[in-house]
Amino acid sequence: MLTKRQNLLETIKGGEPDRFVNQYEFLELIREAPKEPFMTQKGSEIKNGWGITIRWPEGQIGSFPVHDDNHKVLKDITEWRKYVRAPAVNYPAERWTEAIAHANAVDRDEKYVTAFVTPGIFELTHYLMGMEDALMSYYEEPEAMHELIDYLTEYELQYAKQIIENLHPDALFHHDDWGSQISSFMSPETFEEFILPAYKKIYGFYKENGVEIIVHHSDSYGANLVPYMIDMGIDIWQGVMNTNNIPELIKEYGGKISFMGGIHSGEVDFPEWTPEIVMEHVEKACNECGKSYFIPNLSQGGPISSFPGVYEAASEAIDMMSKKLFK
Amino acid sequence: MSKIEEVKVLVETGKSKKVAAAVQEALDAGDKAQDILDAMIASMGVVGDKFSSGEIFVPEMLIAAKAMSKGVEVLKPVMAGDGSSSLGTCIMGTIAGDLHDIGKNLVVMMLESAGFDMVDLGVDVPAERFVEAAKENNNVVLVACSGLLTTTMPALKEAVQTVKAALPDMKVIVGGAPVTQEYADEIGADGYAPDAGSSASKAKVIIGA
Ligand code: B12
Repeated sequence: MLTKRQNLLETIKGGEPDRFVNQYEFLELIREAPKEPFMTQKGSEIKNGWGITIRWPEGQIGSFPVHDDNHKVLKDITEWRKYVRAPAVNYPAERWTEAIAHANAVDRDEKYVTAFVTPGIFELTHYLMGMEDALMSYYEEPEAMHELIDYLTEYELQYAKQIIENLHPDALFHHDDWGSQISSFMSPETFEEFILPAYKKIYGFYKENGVEIIVHHSDSYGANLVPYMIDMGIDIWQGVMNTNNIPELIKEYGGKISFMGGIHSGEVDFPEWTPEIVMEHVEKACNECGKSYFIPNLSQGGPISSFPGVYEAASEAIDMMSKKLFK
Repeated sequence: MSKIEEVKVLVETGKSKKVAAAVQEALDAGDKAQDILDAMIASMGVVGDKFSSGEIFVPEMLIAAKAMSKGVEVLKPVMAGDGSSSLGTCIMGTIAGDLHDIGKNLVVMMLESAGFDMVDLGVDVPAERFVEAAKENNNVVLVACSGLLTTTMPALKEAVQTVKAALPDMKVIVGGAPVTQEYADEIGADGYAPDAGSSASKAKVIIGA
Protein backbone atom coordinates (compact mmCIF):
# COMPACT_ATOMS: atom_id res chain seq x y z
CA MET A 1 0.00 0.00 0.00
CA LEU A 2 1.31 3.44 -0.89
CA THR A 3 1.79 6.00 1.86
CA LYS A 4 -0.68 8.89 1.89
CA ARG A 5 1.99 11.07 0.40
CA GLN A 6 2.90 8.61 -2.37
CA ASN A 7 -0.74 8.03 -3.17
CA LEU A 8 -1.31 11.77 -3.46
CA LEU A 9 1.62 12.14 -5.84
CA GLU A 10 0.41 9.25 -8.01
CA THR A 11 -3.02 10.89 -8.15
CA ILE A 12 -1.88 14.37 -9.11
CA LYS A 13 0.81 13.15 -11.52
CA GLY A 14 -1.50 10.81 -13.38
CA GLY A 15 0.32 7.69 -12.15
CA GLU A 16 -1.03 4.61 -10.40
CA PRO A 17 -2.73 5.49 -7.11
CA ASP A 18 -3.97 2.44 -5.18
CA ARG A 19 -7.03 4.23 -3.73
CA PHE A 20 -8.71 7.64 -3.72
CA VAL A 21 -6.91 10.29 -1.74
CA ASN A 22 -9.39 10.64 1.10
CA GLN A 23 -10.18 14.35 1.64
CA TYR A 24 -7.54 16.15 3.72
CA GLU A 25 -5.71 12.98 4.84
CA PHE A 26 -2.38 13.92 3.21
CA LEU A 27 -2.17 17.36 4.85
CA GLU A 28 -1.10 17.79 8.46
CA LEU A 29 -2.22 21.36 9.10
CA ILE A 30 -0.02 23.21 11.56
CA ARG A 31 -2.69 25.46 13.02
CA GLU A 32 -0.65 26.49 16.06
CA ALA A 33 1.54 28.89 14.08
CA PRO A 34 1.16 32.48 15.31
CA LYS A 35 -1.00 34.67 13.09
CA GLU A 36 -3.40 37.56 13.15
CA PRO A 37 -6.83 36.40 14.31
CA PHE A 38 -9.71 36.64 11.83
CA MET A 39 -12.10 34.66 13.98
CA THR A 40 -13.24 35.08 17.53
CA GLN A 41 -15.06 33.13 20.22
CA LYS A 42 -18.83 32.91 20.22
CA GLY A 43 -20.44 35.98 21.76
CA SER A 44 -17.24 38.04 21.64
CA GLU A 45 -15.62 40.78 19.60
CA ILE A 46 -11.94 41.44 18.85
CA LYS A 47 -9.88 43.94 16.92
CA ASN A 48 -6.91 42.34 15.16
CA GLY A 49 -3.52 43.78 14.21
CA TRP A 50 -4.92 45.30 11.02
CA GLY A 51 -7.57 47.12 13.06
CA ILE A 52 -10.29 44.87 11.63
CA THR A 53 -13.15 44.26 14.07
CA ILE A 54 -14.38 40.67 14.13
CA ARG A 55 -17.58 39.81 15.92
CA TRP A 56 -19.39 36.54 16.59
CA PRO A 57 -22.90 37.43 17.75
CA GLU A 58 -24.95 34.91 19.72
CA GLY A 59 -27.22 32.85 17.52
CA GLN A 60 -24.80 32.89 14.58
CA ILE A 61 -22.67 29.99 13.31
CA GLY A 62 -19.44 31.94 12.97
CA SER A 63 -17.60 35.25 13.08
CA PHE A 64 -18.01 38.14 10.70
CA PRO A 65 -16.03 41.33 10.02
CA VAL A 66 -17.85 44.51 11.08
CA HIS A 67 -18.07 47.11 8.32
CA ASP A 68 -20.29 49.90 9.57
CA ASP A 69 -18.86 53.41 9.27
CA ASN A 70 -17.35 53.29 12.74
CA HIS A 71 -15.54 50.00 12.22
CA LYS A 72 -14.46 49.90 8.60
CA VAL A 73 -10.65 50.18 8.53
CA LEU A 74 -10.23 51.50 5.01
CA LYS A 75 -12.64 54.36 4.47
CA ASP A 76 -11.22 55.78 1.25
CA ILE A 77 -9.15 53.65 -1.09
CA THR A 78 -7.40 56.64 -2.60
CA GLU A 79 -5.99 57.38 0.85
CA TRP A 80 -5.18 53.80 1.78
CA ARG A 81 -1.78 54.77 3.18
CA LYS A 82 -3.50 56.83 5.84
CA TYR A 83 -5.69 53.93 7.00
CA VAL A 84 -3.83 50.67 6.42
CA ARG A 85 -0.90 49.64 8.57
CA ALA A 86 0.30 46.04 8.39
CA PRO A 87 0.85 44.29 11.71
CA ALA A 88 4.34 43.05 12.64
CA VAL A 89 5.21 39.51 11.59
CA ASN A 90 8.25 38.88 13.80
CA TYR A 91 6.43 36.98 16.51
CA PRO A 92 8.58 36.10 19.54
CA ALA A 93 10.20 32.65 19.45
CA GLU A 94 7.98 31.23 22.19
CA ARG A 95 4.90 31.80 20.06
CA TRP A 96 6.34 29.32 17.59
CA THR A 97 7.24 26.59 20.08
CA GLU A 98 4.00 24.64 19.87
CA ALA A 99 3.84 24.83 16.07
CA ILE A 100 7.45 23.67 15.72
CA ALA A 101 6.83 20.75 18.06
CA HIS A 102 3.80 19.77 16.00
CA ALA A 103 5.76 19.97 12.74
CA ASN A 104 8.61 17.91 14.21
CA ALA A 105 6.23 15.18 15.33
CA VAL A 106 4.92 14.58 11.81
CA ASP A 107 6.13 11.59 9.82
CA ARG A 108 7.02 13.41 6.62
CA ASP A 109 7.14 10.20 4.61
CA GLU A 110 3.46 9.74 5.33
CA LYS A 111 2.06 13.28 5.38
CA TYR A 112 2.88 16.82 4.34
CA VAL A 113 3.73 19.30 7.06
CA THR A 114 1.38 22.03 5.96
CA ALA A 115 1.40 25.74 6.66
CA PHE A 116 -2.12 27.17 6.81
CA VAL A 117 -2.60 30.74 5.63
CA THR A 118 -5.88 32.60 5.68
CA PRO A 119 -7.25 35.04 4.65
CA GLY A 120 -5.82 35.57 1.18
CA ILE A 121 -5.02 38.80 -0.63
CA PHE A 122 -8.46 39.30 -2.15
CA GLU A 123 -10.16 38.45 1.13
CA LEU A 124 -7.92 40.88 2.98
CA THR A 125 -9.04 43.69 0.66
CA HIS A 126 -12.68 43.03 1.56
CA TYR A 127 -11.98 42.50 5.25
CA LEU A 128 -10.40 45.95 5.25
CA MET A 129 -13.11 47.86 3.38
CA GLY A 130 -16.16 45.66 2.94
CA MET A 131 -16.95 43.57 -0.10
CA GLU A 132 -18.77 46.20 -2.11
CA ASP A 133 -16.16 48.94 -1.73
CA ALA A 134 -13.47 46.39 -2.50
CA LEU A 135 -15.08 45.06 -5.65
CA MET A 136 -15.92 48.51 -6.97
CA SER A 137 -12.42 49.80 -6.24
CA TYR A 138 -10.88 47.31 -8.65
CA TYR A 139 -12.80 49.14 -11.37
CA GLU A 140 -12.99 52.68 -10.12
CA GLU A 141 -9.59 53.19 -8.49
CA PRO A 142 -7.29 50.64 -10.13
CA GLU A 143 -4.07 52.48 -9.34
CA ALA A 144 -4.71 52.74 -5.64
CA MET A 145 -5.86 49.15 -5.63
CA HIS A 146 -2.61 48.02 -7.26
CA GLU A 147 -0.62 49.87 -4.62
CA LEU A 148 -2.68 48.39 -1.80
CA ILE A 149 -2.30 44.88 -3.17
CA ASP A 150 1.47 45.32 -3.52
CA TYR A 151 1.55 46.37 0.12
CA LEU A 152 -0.52 43.37 1.26
CA THR A 153 1.63 41.05 -0.86
CA GLU A 154 4.79 42.38 0.75
CA TYR A 155 3.23 41.65 4.16
CA GLU A 156 2.40 38.09 3.10
CA LEU A 157 5.95 37.54 1.88
CA GLN A 158 7.36 38.73 5.21
CA TYR A 159 5.03 36.35 7.02
CA ALA A 160 5.94 33.54 4.62
CA LYS A 161 9.60 33.99 5.56
CA GLN A 162 8.74 33.42 9.21
CA ILE A 163 6.74 30.34 8.40
CA ILE A 164 9.49 28.84 6.30
CA GLU A 165 12.22 29.52 8.84
CA ASN A 166 10.23 28.04 11.70
CA LEU A 167 8.32 25.14 10.18
CA HIS A 168 10.08 24.18 6.94
CA PRO A 169 6.70 23.14 5.58
CA ASP A 170 6.47 20.87 2.56
CA ALA A 171 2.97 21.96 1.65
CA LEU A 172 0.95 25.14 1.87
CA PHE A 173 -2.82 25.33 2.35
CA HIS A 174 -3.90 28.83 1.43
CA HIS A 175 -7.39 30.29 1.46
CA ASP A 176 -8.76 33.00 -0.82
CA ASP A 177 -12.38 32.69 -1.92
CA TRP A 178 -12.68 33.99 -5.44
CA GLY A 179 -16.32 33.48 -6.24
CA SER A 180 -19.90 32.66 -5.51
CA GLN A 181 -21.40 29.30 -6.27
CA ILE A 182 -22.16 30.24 -9.87
CA SER A 183 -19.61 32.88 -10.87
CA SER A 184 -16.22 34.31 -10.05
CA PHE A 185 -16.35 37.60 -8.16
CA MET A 186 -14.21 39.31 -10.77
CA SER A 187 -13.90 38.98 -14.48
CA PRO A 188 -10.93 36.88 -15.60
CA GLU A 189 -9.30 40.06 -16.96
CA THR A 190 -9.53 41.87 -13.62
CA PHE A 191 -8.28 38.76 -11.86
CA GLU A 192 -5.32 38.53 -14.21
CA GLU A 193 -4.45 42.16 -13.69
CA PHE A 194 -4.64 42.30 -9.89
CA ILE A 195 -4.64 38.88 -8.26
CA LEU A 196 -2.40 36.80 -10.50
CA PRO A 197 0.78 38.90 -10.04
CA ALA A 198 0.38 38.90 -6.25
CA TYR A 199 0.11 35.13 -6.07
CA LYS A 200 2.92 34.54 -8.56
CA LYS A 201 5.15 36.25 -6.04
CA ILE A 202 3.69 34.54 -2.96
CA TYR A 203 3.43 30.98 -4.26
CA GLY A 204 6.70 31.39 -6.16
CA PHE A 205 8.41 32.30 -2.91
CA TYR A 206 7.06 29.26 -1.05
CA LYS A 207 8.12 26.97 -3.89
CA GLU A 208 11.63 28.43 -3.96
CA ASN A 209 11.84 27.61 -0.28
CA GLY A 210 11.05 23.94 -0.08
CA VAL A 211 7.28 23.86 -0.41
CA GLU A 212 6.41 21.09 -2.84
CA ILE A 213 2.63 21.27 -2.98
CA ILE A 214 0.39 24.33 -3.04
CA VAL A 215 -3.24 23.65 -2.17
CA HIS A 216 -5.49 26.65 -2.72
CA HIS A 217 -8.98 26.88 -1.23
CA SER A 218 -11.77 28.64 -3.08
CA ASP A 219 -15.12 26.97 -2.59
CA SER A 220 -16.83 28.49 -5.52
CA TYR A 221 -17.27 28.52 -9.21
CA GLY A 222 -13.90 29.27 -10.78
CA ALA A 223 -13.53 27.32 -14.01
CA ASN A 224 -12.79 30.61 -15.79
CA LEU A 225 -9.79 31.22 -13.49
CA VAL A 226 -8.07 27.83 -13.81
CA PRO A 227 -5.44 28.97 -16.35
CA TYR A 228 -4.33 31.65 -13.85
CA MET A 229 -4.36 29.16 -11.00
CA ILE A 230 -1.93 27.04 -13.00
CA ASP A 231 0.18 30.06 -13.87
CA MET A 232 0.53 31.10 -10.23
CA GLY A 233 1.69 27.64 -9.20
CA ILE A 234 -1.35 26.02 -7.60
CA ASP A 235 -1.06 22.21 -7.62
CA ILE A 236 -4.47 21.45 -6.15
CA TRP A 237 -7.59 23.60 -6.22
CA GLN A 238 -9.51 22.64 -3.09
CA GLY A 239 -13.17 23.58 -2.78
CA VAL A 240 -14.03 23.14 -6.44
CA MET A 241 -17.83 23.02 -6.42
CA ASN A 242 -19.82 20.82 -8.75
CA THR A 243 -21.24 23.97 -10.34
CA ASN A 244 -17.96 23.76 -12.27
CA ASN A 245 -17.90 20.97 -14.81
CA ILE A 246 -15.17 19.05 -12.98
CA PRO A 247 -14.83 16.08 -15.39
CA GLU A 248 -14.30 18.56 -18.22
CA LEU A 249 -11.78 20.56 -16.19
CA ILE A 250 -9.88 17.34 -15.47
CA LYS A 251 -9.83 16.49 -19.15
CA GLU A 252 -8.59 19.92 -20.10
CA TYR A 253 -6.15 20.70 -17.30
CA GLY A 254 -5.30 17.37 -15.63
CA GLY A 255 -1.55 17.04 -15.23
CA LYS A 256 -1.15 20.78 -14.71
CA ILE A 257 -3.48 21.06 -11.74
CA SER A 258 -5.69 18.71 -9.70
CA PHE A 259 -9.18 19.21 -8.33
CA MET A 260 -10.18 18.56 -4.73
CA GLY A 261 -13.85 18.82 -3.86
CA GLY A 262 -16.83 17.89 -6.00
CA ILE A 263 -19.05 17.10 -3.04
CA HIS A 264 -21.14 20.15 -2.47
CA SER A 265 -21.71 21.22 1.15
CA GLY A 266 -25.16 22.50 0.24
CA GLU A 267 -26.21 19.02 -0.92
CA VAL A 268 -24.83 16.90 1.91
CA ASP A 269 -24.11 19.17 4.86
CA PHE A 270 -27.55 20.31 6.01
CA PRO A 271 -29.83 19.64 8.99
CA GLU A 272 -31.60 16.56 7.55
CA TRP A 273 -28.42 14.89 6.21
CA THR A 274 -28.10 11.10 6.27
CA PRO A 275 -25.16 8.78 5.50
CA GLU A 276 -27.12 7.54 2.49
CA ILE A 277 -27.35 11.03 1.00
CA VAL A 278 -23.63 11.50 1.57
CA MET A 279 -22.88 8.14 -0.06
CA GLU A 280 -24.97 9.01 -3.09
CA HIS A 281 -23.06 12.25 -3.71
CA VAL A 282 -19.65 10.73 -3.02
CA GLU A 283 -20.40 7.90 -5.41
CA LYS A 284 -21.52 10.28 -8.12
CA ALA A 285 -18.43 12.47 -7.72
CA CYS A 286 -16.02 9.51 -7.75
CA ASN A 287 -17.69 7.89 -10.75
CA GLU A 288 -17.83 11.09 -12.75
CA CYS A 289 -14.40 12.47 -11.97
CA GLY A 290 -12.31 9.31 -11.90
CA LYS A 291 -9.00 8.32 -10.36
CA SER A 292 -6.57 10.85 -11.76
CA TYR A 293 -6.20 14.52 -10.87
CA PHE A 294 -9.22 14.29 -8.55
CA ILE A 295 -9.54 14.17 -4.76
CA PRO A 296 -13.06 13.64 -3.47
CA ASN A 297 -13.77 16.12 -0.67
CA LEU A 298 -16.48 18.34 0.81
CA SER A 299 -16.08 21.87 -0.50
CA GLN A 300 -15.51 23.32 3.00
CA GLY A 301 -12.10 24.93 3.63
CA GLY A 302 -10.90 22.48 6.29
CA PRO A 303 -11.40 18.94 7.56
CA ILE A 304 -14.77 19.79 9.08
CA SER A 305 -18.46 20.01 8.31
CA SER A 306 -21.21 22.32 9.54
CA PHE A 307 -23.20 19.36 10.89
CA PRO A 308 -21.37 16.85 13.10
CA GLY A 309 -20.70 13.54 11.37
CA VAL A 310 -20.96 14.66 7.76
CA TYR A 311 -17.19 14.91 7.23
CA GLU A 312 -16.61 11.44 8.71
CA ALA A 313 -19.50 9.97 6.72
CA ALA A 314 -17.91 11.35 3.55
CA SER A 315 -14.55 9.78 4.48
CA GLU A 316 -16.22 6.40 5.00
CA ALA A 317 -18.07 6.69 1.71
CA ILE A 318 -14.82 7.52 -0.09
CA ASP A 319 -13.15 4.42 1.40
CA MET A 320 -16.05 2.37 0.12
CA MET A 321 -15.64 3.85 -3.34
CA SER A 322 -11.91 3.04 -3.24
CA LYS A 323 -12.74 -0.60 -2.52
CA LYS A 324 -15.19 -0.59 -5.38
CA LEU A 325 -13.15 1.18 -8.04
CA PHE A 326 -9.54 0.21 -7.25
CA LYS A 327 -8.32 -3.36 -7.53
CA MET B 1 -26.54 59.93 -29.79
CA SER B 2 -29.57 61.38 -28.00
CA LYS B 3 -29.15 62.47 -24.40
CA ILE B 4 -31.27 59.58 -23.21
CA GLU B 5 -29.14 57.11 -25.13
CA GLU B 6 -26.10 58.61 -23.48
CA VAL B 7 -27.63 58.10 -20.02
CA LYS B 8 -28.33 54.48 -20.90
CA VAL B 9 -24.75 53.82 -21.94
CA LEU B 10 -23.38 55.55 -18.84
CA VAL B 11 -25.55 53.39 -16.56
CA GLU B 12 -24.72 50.18 -18.38
CA THR B 13 -21.01 50.90 -18.16
CA GLY B 14 -21.21 52.13 -14.58
CA LYS B 15 -19.89 55.66 -15.10
CA SER B 16 -21.29 56.99 -11.84
CA LYS B 17 -19.35 60.25 -11.95
CA LYS B 18 -20.87 61.25 -15.30
CA VAL B 19 -24.47 60.10 -15.03
CA ALA B 20 -25.87 62.95 -12.96
CA ALA B 21 -24.72 65.57 -15.45
CA ALA B 22 -26.05 63.54 -18.38
CA VAL B 23 -29.46 63.15 -16.73
CA GLN B 24 -29.59 66.89 -16.09
CA GLU B 25 -28.69 67.56 -19.73
CA ALA B 26 -31.42 65.20 -20.87
CA LEU B 27 -33.95 67.04 -18.70
CA ASP B 28 -32.70 70.38 -20.03
CA ALA B 29 -33.04 69.07 -23.57
CA GLY B 30 -36.72 68.42 -22.84
CA ASP B 31 -36.76 64.70 -22.16
CA LYS B 32 -39.42 63.65 -19.67
CA ALA B 33 -38.22 62.45 -16.28
CA GLN B 34 -40.31 59.31 -16.61
CA ASP B 35 -38.71 58.46 -19.95
CA ILE B 36 -35.23 58.93 -18.54
CA LEU B 37 -36.10 56.70 -15.60
CA ASP B 38 -37.53 54.04 -17.90
CA ALA B 39 -34.36 54.16 -19.96
CA MET B 40 -32.23 53.60 -16.86
CA ILE B 41 -34.50 50.75 -15.74
CA ALA B 42 -34.04 49.18 -19.15
CA SER B 43 -30.27 49.55 -18.84
CA MET B 44 -30.28 47.76 -15.51
CA GLY B 45 -32.35 45.03 -17.15
CA VAL B 46 -29.58 44.61 -19.70
CA VAL B 47 -26.98 44.59 -16.94
CA GLY B 48 -28.98 41.94 -15.05
CA ASP B 49 -29.23 39.72 -18.11
CA LYS B 50 -25.53 40.01 -18.80
CA PHE B 51 -24.83 39.06 -15.17
CA SER B 52 -27.14 36.04 -15.39
CA SER B 53 -25.43 34.86 -18.55
CA GLY B 54 -21.96 35.27 -17.04
CA GLU B 55 -20.93 38.03 -19.40
CA ILE B 56 -20.31 40.50 -16.57
CA PHE B 57 -19.47 40.09 -12.88
CA VAL B 58 -20.46 41.44 -9.47
CA PRO B 59 -18.31 44.63 -9.64
CA GLU B 60 -19.79 45.70 -12.99
CA MET B 61 -23.22 45.20 -11.54
CA LEU B 62 -22.38 47.22 -8.44
CA ILE B 63 -21.01 50.15 -10.41
CA ALA B 64 -23.98 50.11 -12.78
CA ALA B 65 -26.37 50.23 -9.81
CA LYS B 66 -24.34 53.02 -8.26
CA ALA B 67 -24.49 54.95 -11.54
CA MET B 68 -28.23 54.51 -11.73
CA SER B 69 -28.73 55.76 -8.19
CA LYS B 70 -26.76 58.92 -9.05
CA GLY B 71 -29.11 59.45 -11.96
CA VAL B 72 -32.19 58.81 -9.85
CA GLU B 73 -31.03 61.44 -7.34
CA VAL B 74 -31.32 64.06 -10.07
CA LEU B 75 -34.76 62.83 -11.10
CA LYS B 76 -36.21 62.54 -7.59
CA PRO B 77 -37.02 66.23 -6.98
CA VAL B 78 -38.52 66.46 -10.47
CA MET B 79 -40.68 63.38 -9.97
CA ALA B 80 -41.56 63.92 -6.29
CA GLY B 81 -45.10 62.88 -5.46
CA ASP B 82 -45.47 61.11 -8.74
CA GLY B 83 -45.61 57.48 -7.67
CA SER B 84 -46.79 56.27 -11.04
CA SER B 85 -43.76 54.17 -11.83
CA SER B 86 -43.62 52.21 -8.60
CA LEU B 87 -44.40 48.50 -8.69
CA GLY B 88 -45.11 48.64 -4.98
CA THR B 89 -43.00 48.10 -1.89
CA CYS B 90 -40.78 45.09 -1.32
CA ILE B 91 -39.44 44.12 2.09
CA MET B 92 -36.11 42.33 1.90
CA GLY B 93 -33.64 40.86 4.35
CA THR B 94 -31.18 38.08 5.10
CA ILE B 95 -32.83 35.56 7.41
CA ALA B 96 -32.10 34.96 11.10
CA GLY B 97 -28.78 33.31 11.88
CA ASP B 98 -27.11 34.53 8.70
CA LEU B 99 -24.96 37.62 8.16
CA HIS B 100 -24.07 37.26 4.46
CA ASP B 101 -25.33 40.25 2.55
CA ILE B 102 -23.63 40.65 -0.81
CA GLY B 103 -26.20 38.61 -2.72
CA LYS B 104 -29.04 40.30 -0.85
CA ASN B 105 -27.66 43.76 -1.62
CA LEU B 106 -27.41 42.94 -5.31
CA VAL B 107 -30.99 41.73 -5.38
CA VAL B 108 -32.10 44.92 -3.55
CA MET B 109 -30.38 46.98 -6.23
CA MET B 110 -31.93 45.03 -9.07
CA LEU B 111 -35.44 45.15 -7.64
CA GLU B 112 -35.06 48.83 -6.90
CA SER B 113 -33.91 49.56 -10.42
CA ALA B 114 -36.82 47.53 -11.75
CA GLY B 115 -39.21 49.89 -9.98
CA PHE B 116 -39.87 48.45 -6.53
CA ASP B 117 -39.65 50.68 -3.46
CA MET B 118 -37.24 48.69 -1.34
CA VAL B 119 -37.19 48.40 2.43
CA ASP B 120 -33.93 46.68 3.36
CA LEU B 121 -34.10 45.11 6.82
CA GLY B 122 -30.42 44.14 6.73
CA VAL B 123 -29.08 40.82 7.97
CA ASP B 124 -30.05 38.34 10.71
CA VAL B 125 -33.73 39.24 10.38
CA PRO B 126 -36.13 37.25 12.59
CA ALA B 127 -39.25 35.85 10.89
CA GLU B 128 -41.64 38.17 12.74
CA ARG B 129 -39.66 41.24 11.66
CA PHE B 130 -40.63 40.55 8.03
CA VAL B 131 -44.29 40.52 9.08
CA GLU B 132 -43.98 43.72 11.13
CA ALA B 133 -42.26 45.52 8.28
CA ALA B 134 -44.88 44.32 5.82
CA LYS B 135 -47.57 45.80 8.09
CA GLU B 136 -45.71 49.03 8.93
CA ASN B 137 -44.99 50.06 5.35
CA ASN B 138 -47.38 51.20 2.66
CA ASN B 139 -48.35 49.20 -0.37
CA VAL B 140 -46.17 46.17 0.40
CA VAL B 141 -46.60 43.64 -2.41
CA LEU B 142 -43.61 41.37 -1.91
CA VAL B 143 -41.36 39.94 0.80
CA ALA B 144 -37.90 38.75 -0.31
CA CYS B 145 -35.73 36.52 1.86
CA SER B 146 -32.09 35.65 1.29
CA GLY B 147 -30.21 32.77 2.94
CA LEU B 148 -26.65 31.59 2.26
CA LEU B 149 -26.14 28.94 4.91
CA THR B 150 -27.37 25.38 4.96
CA THR B 151 -27.54 25.72 8.74
CA THR B 152 -30.22 28.39 8.43
CA MET B 153 -32.43 26.70 5.85
CA PRO B 154 -34.95 26.04 8.65
CA ALA B 155 -34.98 29.79 9.38
CA LEU B 156 -35.82 30.45 5.74
CA LYS B 157 -38.73 28.07 5.99
CA GLU B 158 -39.85 29.72 9.20
CA ALA B 159 -39.67 33.19 7.62
CA VAL B 160 -41.81 32.14 4.66
CA GLN B 161 -44.34 30.33 6.80
CA THR B 162 -44.59 33.11 9.37
CA VAL B 163 -45.28 35.66 6.65
CA LYS B 164 -47.81 33.38 4.97
CA ALA B 165 -49.59 32.67 8.27
CA ALA B 166 -49.89 36.34 9.18
CA LEU B 167 -50.54 37.69 5.69
CA PRO B 168 -51.99 34.91 3.54
CA ASP B 169 -52.11 37.03 0.37
CA MET B 170 -48.57 38.35 0.62
CA LYS B 171 -46.19 37.13 -2.09
CA VAL B 172 -42.81 35.78 -1.00
CA ILE B 173 -39.69 35.26 -3.09
CA VAL B 174 -36.61 33.44 -1.81
CA GLY B 175 -33.04 32.91 -2.95
CA GLY B 176 -29.42 32.35 -1.95
CA ALA B 177 -26.77 29.79 -2.89
CA PRO B 178 -28.22 26.66 -1.21
CA VAL B 179 -31.82 27.45 -2.22
CA THR B 180 -33.36 25.65 -5.19
CA GLN B 181 -36.70 25.86 -6.96
CA GLU B 182 -37.71 22.56 -5.32
CA TYR B 183 -36.87 23.86 -1.88
CA ALA B 184 -38.76 27.09 -2.55
CA ASP B 185 -41.82 25.06 -3.56
CA GLU B 186 -41.47 22.80 -0.55
CA ILE B 187 -41.50 25.66 1.96
CA GLY B 188 -44.39 27.41 0.28
CA ALA B 189 -42.64 30.39 -1.32
CA ASP B 190 -44.22 31.92 -4.43
CA GLY B 191 -40.99 32.10 -6.31
CA TYR B 192 -37.26 31.69 -6.52
CA ALA B 193 -34.52 33.09 -8.73
CA PRO B 194 -30.98 31.77 -9.00
CA ASP B 195 -29.31 35.17 -9.34
CA ALA B 196 -29.84 38.91 -9.04
CA GLY B 197 -30.18 39.36 -12.78
CA SER B 198 -33.24 37.16 -12.98
CA SER B 199 -34.68 38.24 -9.62
CA ALA B 200 -36.36 41.35 -11.04
CA SER B 201 -38.26 39.62 -13.83
CA LYS B 202 -39.26 36.83 -11.48
CA ALA B 203 -40.49 39.31 -8.87
CA LYS B 204 -42.62 41.06 -11.49
CA VAL B 205 -44.16 37.77 -12.58
CA ILE B 206 -44.99 36.86 -8.99
CA ILE B 207 -46.83 40.10 -8.26
CA GLY B 208 -48.54 39.96 -11.64
CA ALA B 209 -47.05 43.22 -12.91
C1 B12 C 1 -18.01 35.97 0.68
C2 B12 C 1 -18.35 34.93 1.74
C3 B12 C 1 -18.26 35.32 3.08
C4 B12 C 1 -17.93 36.74 3.50
C5 B12 C 1 -19.26 37.50 3.52
C6 B12 C 1 -19.17 39.00 3.28
C7 B12 C 1 -20.56 39.59 3.24
N1 B12 C 1 -20.64 40.84 3.56
O1 B12 C 1 -21.56 38.97 2.93
C8 B12 C 1 -17.34 36.45 4.92
C9 B12 C 1 -15.86 36.17 4.77
C10 B12 C 1 -17.51 37.57 5.94
C11 B12 C 1 -18.06 35.17 5.30
C12 B12 C 1 -18.30 34.74 6.60
C13 B12 C 1 -18.81 33.50 6.93
N2 B12 C 1 -19.08 32.49 6.06
CO1 B12 C 1 -19.16 32.70 4.14
N3 B12 C 1 -19.02 32.67 2.27
C14 B12 C 1 -18.73 33.59 1.38
C15 B12 C 1 -18.73 32.96 -0.03
C16 B12 C 1 -17.29 32.73 -0.45
C17 B12 C 1 -19.42 33.76 -1.11
C18 B12 C 1 -20.82 34.26 -0.78
C19 B12 C 1 -21.14 35.46 -1.63
O2 B12 C 1 -21.02 36.60 -1.19
N4 B12 C 1 -21.45 35.26 -2.90
C20 B12 C 1 -21.66 36.34 -3.88
C21 B12 C 1 -23.12 36.63 -4.09
C22 B12 C 1 -23.28 37.63 -5.22
O3 B12 C 1 -23.76 35.43 -4.44
P1 B12 C 1 -24.95 34.83 -3.55
O4 B12 C 1 -24.82 35.26 -2.17
O5 B12 C 1 -25.06 33.39 -3.87
O6 B12 C 1 -26.25 35.59 -4.11
C23 B12 C 1 -26.71 35.46 -5.42
C24 B12 C 1 -27.83 34.40 -5.57
O7 B12 C 1 -27.74 33.37 -4.60
C25 B12 C 1 -29.09 35.19 -5.54
N5 B12 C 1 -29.74 35.49 -4.27
C26 B12 C 1 -29.22 35.69 -3.04
N6 B12 C 1 -30.18 36.01 -2.17
C27 B12 C 1 -31.33 36.07 -2.85
C28 B12 C 1 -32.63 36.36 -2.44
C29 B12 C 1 -33.67 36.35 -3.37
C30 B12 C 1 -35.05 36.69 -2.93
C31 B12 C 1 -33.39 36.01 -4.72
C32 B12 C 1 -34.49 35.98 -5.70
C33 B12 C 1 -32.10 35.70 -5.13
C34 B12 C 1 -31.08 35.73 -4.19
O8 B12 C 1 -28.73 36.40 -6.14
C35 B12 C 1 -27.40 36.78 -5.75
C36 B12 C 1 -26.73 37.56 -6.83
O9 B12 C 1 -26.68 36.89 -8.05
C37 B12 C 1 -19.52 31.61 0.23
C38 B12 C 1 -19.12 30.45 -0.67
C39 B12 C 1 -19.96 30.37 -1.92
N7 B12 C 1 -19.35 29.81 -2.90
O10 B12 C 1 -21.10 30.80 -1.96
C40 B12 C 1 -19.19 31.34 1.71
C41 B12 C 1 -20.16 30.52 2.57
C42 B12 C 1 -21.59 30.91 2.27
N8 B12 C 1 -19.79 30.92 3.93
C43 B12 C 1 -19.81 29.95 4.79
C44 B12 C 1 -19.49 30.06 6.18
C45 B12 C 1 -19.46 28.77 6.97
C46 B12 C 1 -19.19 31.32 6.75
C47 B12 C 1 -18.84 31.58 8.23
C48 B12 C 1 -19.64 30.81 9.25
C49 B12 C 1 -17.34 31.36 8.39
C50 B12 C 1 -16.84 31.33 9.83
N9 B12 C 1 -16.55 30.15 10.30
O11 B12 C 1 -16.71 32.34 10.45
C51 B12 C 1 -19.12 33.09 8.33
C52 B12 C 1 -20.63 33.34 8.52
C53 B12 C 1 -21.09 33.99 9.76
C54 B12 C 1 -22.61 34.11 9.73
N10 B12 C 1 -23.22 33.92 10.85
O12 B12 C 1 -23.26 34.34 8.73
C55 B12 C 1 -20.20 28.64 4.13
C56 B12 C 1 -21.58 28.16 4.46
C57 B12 C 1 -21.59 26.66 4.71
C58 B12 C 1 -22.95 26.18 4.95
N11 B12 C 1 -23.10 25.29 5.90
O13 B12 C 1 -23.89 26.57 4.29
C59 B12 C 1 -19.94 28.94 2.62
C60 B12 C 1 -20.82 28.19 1.64
C61 B12 C 1 -18.45 28.60 2.40
C62 B12 C 1 -18.11 27.17 2.81
N12 B12 C 1 -18.39 26.16 2.05
O14 B12 C 1 -17.53 26.99 3.84
N13 B12 C 1 -18.43 34.49 4.17
